[in-house]
Amino acid sequence: MGACSRRARPEGRQLTDRRLAAPSDWPLLRQLRGPDRLGRGAAVKSRGSRELQARTAGADRVVKSVCPYCAVGCAQNVFVRDDRVVQIEGDPDAPHSRGRLCPKGSATLQLTTGSSREQHVLYRRPHGTEWERLDLQTAMDMIADRMVATRREGWEWESEGDRSRRCMSIAALGGATLDNEENYLIKKLLTSLGIIQIENQARVCHSSTVVGLGTSFGRGASSTLPGDLQNSDLIVLEGSNMAEAHPVAYQWVVEAKARGATVIHVDPHYSRTSVLADMFVPLRAGTDIAFLGAIINHVISTESDFREYVLAYTNAATIIREEFEDAGADGIFSGFDAEHATYDPDSWQYADAFMAAAAGQRDQEGNIAAQPEGSDEGEQDRGQPHQDLTLRHPRCVWQILMRHYAEYTPEMVEQVCGVPPEVFAKVCELFVANSGRERTAAFVHGVGWTQHTIGSQYIRAASILQLLLGNMGRPGGGVMAMRGHASIQGSSDIPTLFDTLPGYIPMPHAHAHHDLEAFIAGNAPDKGFWGNMRDYMVSLLKAWWGESATADNEFRFDYLPRLTGSHSTYDTVIEQIKGTVKGYILYGQNPAVGSANSRMQRLGMSKLDWLVVRDFSLIESATWWKDGPEIESGEMRTEDIATEVFFMPAAAHIEKDGTFTNTQRMVQWHHKAQEPQAEQRSDLWFTYHLGRMIRERLSGSSDEMDRPVLDLSWDYPTEGPYDDPDAEAVLAEISGWDANGEMLSAYTGLKADGSTSCGCWIYCGSYADGVNQTARRKPAREQNWTGPEWAWAWPANRRILYNRASADPQGRPWSERKALVWWDEEQGKWTGHDTPDFEATKRPDYRPAHDATGPDALAGDDPFIMQADGRGWLYAPAGVGEGPLPTHYEPQDSPVRNRLHRQQRNPARQVYEHEYNRYTADPSDPQNEVFPYVLTTYRLTEHFTAGGMSRWTPYLAELQPEFFVEVSPELAAERGLQHGGWATAISPRGVVEARVMVTDRMTPLRVDQRTLHQIGMPYHWGPNGYARGDSMNELSSMSLDPSSHIQEVKALAIDIRPGRRPRGAARQALAREYCERAGITAETGMAP
Amino acid sequence: MPTHDQVRELLDRGHSYEIAGRELHVPAGQAYMIATGRPADSGDTPNPGELRVDAPLPGGPQQLVNPPALNPTRNARVMEWVRARAARDLKGGS
Repeated sequence: MGACSRRARPEGRQLTDRRLAAPSDWPLLRQLRGPDRLGRGAAVKSRGSRELQARTAGADRVVKSVCPYCAVGCAQNVFVRDDRVVQIEGDPDAPHSRGRLCPKGSATLQLTTGSSREQHVLYRRPHGTEWERLDLQTAMDMIADRMVATRREGWEWESEGDRSRRCMSIAALGGATLDNEENYLIKKLLTSLGIIQIENQARVCHSSTVVGLGTSFGRGASSTLPGDLQNSDLIVLEGSNMAEAHPVAYQWVVEAKARGATVIHVDPHYSRTSVLADMFVPLRAGTDIAFLGAIINHVISTESDFREYVLAYTNAATIIREEFEDAGADGIFSGFDAEHATYDPDSWQYADAFMAAAAGQRDQEGNIAAQPEGSDEGEQDRGQPHQDLTLRHPRCVWQILMRHYAEYTPEMVEQVCGVPPEVFAKVCELFVANSGRERTAAFVHGVGWTQHTIGSQYIRAASILQLLLGNMGRPGGGVMAMRGHASIQGSSDIPTLFDTLPGYIPMPHAHAHHDLEAFIAGNAPDKGFWGNMRDYMVSLLKAWWGESATADNEFRFDYLPRLTGSHSTYDTVIEQIKGTVKGYILYGQNPAVGSANSRMQRLGMSKLDWLVVRDFSLIESATWWKDGPEIESGEMRTEDIATEVFFMPAAAHIEKDGTFTNTQRMVQWHHKAQEPQAEQRSDLWFTYHLGRMIRERLSGSSDEMDRPVLDLSWDYPTEGPYDDPDAEAVLAEISGWDANGEMLSAYTGLKADGSTSCGCWIYCGSYADGVNQTARRKPAREQNWTGPEWAWAWPANRRILYNRASADPQGRPWSERKALVWWDEEQGKWTGHDTPDFEATKRPDYRPAHDATGPDALAGDDPFIMQADGRGWLYAPAGVGEGPLPTHYEPQDSPVRNRLHRQQRNPARQVYEHEYNRYTADPSDPQNEVFPYVLTTYRLTEHFTAGGMSRWTPYLAELQPEFFVEVSPELAAERGLQHGGWATAISPRGVVEARVMVTDRMTPLRVDQRTLHQIGMPYHWGPNGYARGDSMNELSSMSLDPSSHIQEVKALAIDIRPGRRPRGAARQALAREYCERAGITAETGMAP
Repeated sequence: MPTHDQVRELLDRGHSYEIAGRELHVPAGQAYMIATGRPADSGDTPNPGELRVDAPLPGGPQQLVNPPALNPTRNARVMEWVRARAARDLKGGS
């Protein structure tokens, strides 16, 4: 296990030793003469090898930690000698990682202790041409001064007549690589300052997963854990290259295979995941809804669904309003407003009942739900859903579903996706054969599904299928969302996101939510656990504003700034370019190469007054002003750029305490192993002290705009040589306590009367009994496969969500083979292998009173406890911005016309008209042929997202040194591309060059009666670090899914040609030339 | 090299792996491996069926081969701060 090191010895001495080695020391003679005749031990050791010692040998302690790269969250043992880290290895006790680390995790020692990390603050003055040194205290003072001044200049009390109480001149981006405690303080401080443009990588990676899963099942997170895939009979990986992107978690797919499971990989690109699958299905990027919709059609038309499960646990039988009109051949649902390209979802609702969504666009129905005081209509709207258990009613969900997918046939799959009918039939057969009482199938997806202009509906389509087949809440079933950063799940839960508060409580909108009552009425359903939203909200307000928050002032609800639409990271870029946003803080995120349309990102930053970059190394987002592509092209001159830049070196995970939440909702504590060097500091330190300094500057202010930050509870205990705030105290605040100072054990203990405090209701119990539950590390061998005593999972330490559905309505497991939780009549409670995701003592035959509300209104056989009707939503009456059912639309930039519906693109998608953000033309336009190929993108094992944690790490840079593009032999021949040579790729936005890999991994497809070529590109590169190359995001556009505001970077139309790209001004001129040839202007592709 | 039976005999007499190792002149972790067939650092890849052990060592066997592991789960200072916050912020319910 331990890597070896030779004890220090003068070089000359080694040579002398070798020369003096006597023949008796020769290994073969030793072996023949000594007792170790077989050469299994001492005989084969030389003097040199005898002196080798594991790095771990001299360690004086082991500190328990967690890998800082992807969201598998592999446990680490950090070996420390004399207070410095000497080695980092996998912790074999961990149930989820079993001691394994991938190449990135194995390089953690170099990442954290290598020489690539900056140790000092760097400063670039306005119009400056070089970095200057600035001491940390001065830099902090300057940043605090700018925060105060810029906030005051950009303050806004009202927006279009509604009270907004906010600051629009400062924005922040980053948090997925940070600890939960850091994200918590960032959100708390910036919100108290009125800042709403707070975003992180979670927007860019899996925000559509949150919408898709949240509206379907009630919670926007993975329903299961990779370790439970071992119980699957069928695993379908689609939109995920799990073996490459999450290699340590992929061991559970291999484990399942060893137990007899079948593995299918559906993807445009053959990869390491495909190698180990039983079946690889290549399909055209951007067509998964057509593929999944056709499987749904197959299941319904052949009646292969798990009918008992469907009737009992889904909304299949629910009747929908008469006004509802399906998308049909046009591809547009009822309620569409073409002028604003948005839907009014009123007609999608249940007949005679109103359902608020558990996730997604909850403000969508805000005005419907927030009825005027005393309105009878409001109560009527929130009535009981009607059902037809025969499923024959023409307006029941089942019939609507059947009609909606009737045209999604195997023939259409062939035309749209490029998947032959016999291959498609095999996939359907495997799905049906491996679902039901005795068998379960699981979906695994990654950002291959999420990053589309209709990404939320990709996830919805998979969710519908899993509900039809009865695979939710059961061992080996579920939808496993593979997330990509150490705490990107945590940065969604405790969000550095503009539209949510901790625990997925929506941020209030200016248009509807003037006070707490209206807010609760507009967002909380009457039934289910979201019916207790007031408890969660008031406890959060108490955690933030403490003694200042009282019932008389609505617990300071008024202190929350208000939204007036989308304020996503892409909207922020537009606001930067407009000049509205003047100050910007980056926390471990690199938009200059990592966000879509990186040219727009840099343009936005060039308009700022000041920029703070907190990172390990000088990433592209810190240096664009001196060496970005626009400097090389002459479009910008360093001396003309007025942006002031502060580079603040960040502490690594081994230098701070805190928690990461991994892809299975597991919150794991990592302990500090050493102090950071020089001026490196944690984001907890930075945020806490920045807040302290701002409060000092504002103390004594009588300005009402300053009250929220001055009344903030901001008195965390500090420790260590740098006065770090105690992360455990922050975790305790997140977890929550009562008026006696007792830590709460679960969110059911929260109160709306101000007697409890809890910073994030879904994390309530993570510090139960005064024990840091997230630091628990009971070895895997001593517990079951779900690992209930390894760390802590939200909610309430439940490892498989909706597990009430693993039992039939009477509370008995559907089958012994797939038993998970069940009703124990003798004990009068639910029991089993996992913490029941259900009220522990609610009987299966419990039926609510007619006037019951909240959890009491859910029956004993309603397993989806966050949903307003307790059921899984085949049909989403609310929450999804582009319709209640997933519908196939082509990507924003597609060379193929939509064969399934007349509507080409998602009519409600979010697009931005800007000369730097041009889109391709409609495929019916002959000039569309200028961009004939489909580009898809992916991650490599050896690199990490935008490269900030891998391109500066020598081991990893050496393993994957160069940006490359994968093309099929057929495309190579068509375009004259040489393996190992250079290629230039062009989109309407930009131009990049990459090394060519000619490979059968890219499959030409027969689509729409012609051969369609796809091109693959990894997205990790940029011009800085050891492994350098162009950024793929020079090609991508800002075009978003409207529900989640995620960008489309998995399918776009480009051209490719041999040779290197032009240099200087000629680079962008080439993109312009293509646009002219294609007749593309800034208005192209903007129409709904 | 001690045999499996030699190590087991000492363990059956109630000795720890540390003492068994000392008696037999091998490191404690090696005594564990001889007795159980598994490395004490748990660095193998057991299948889930092998995850259950008859008599697990409290805290796991890693302690036999690694230096002491630090993993505190209680913090008196934090709880003192929590009580002060609760007394200040939540007095009287609101």
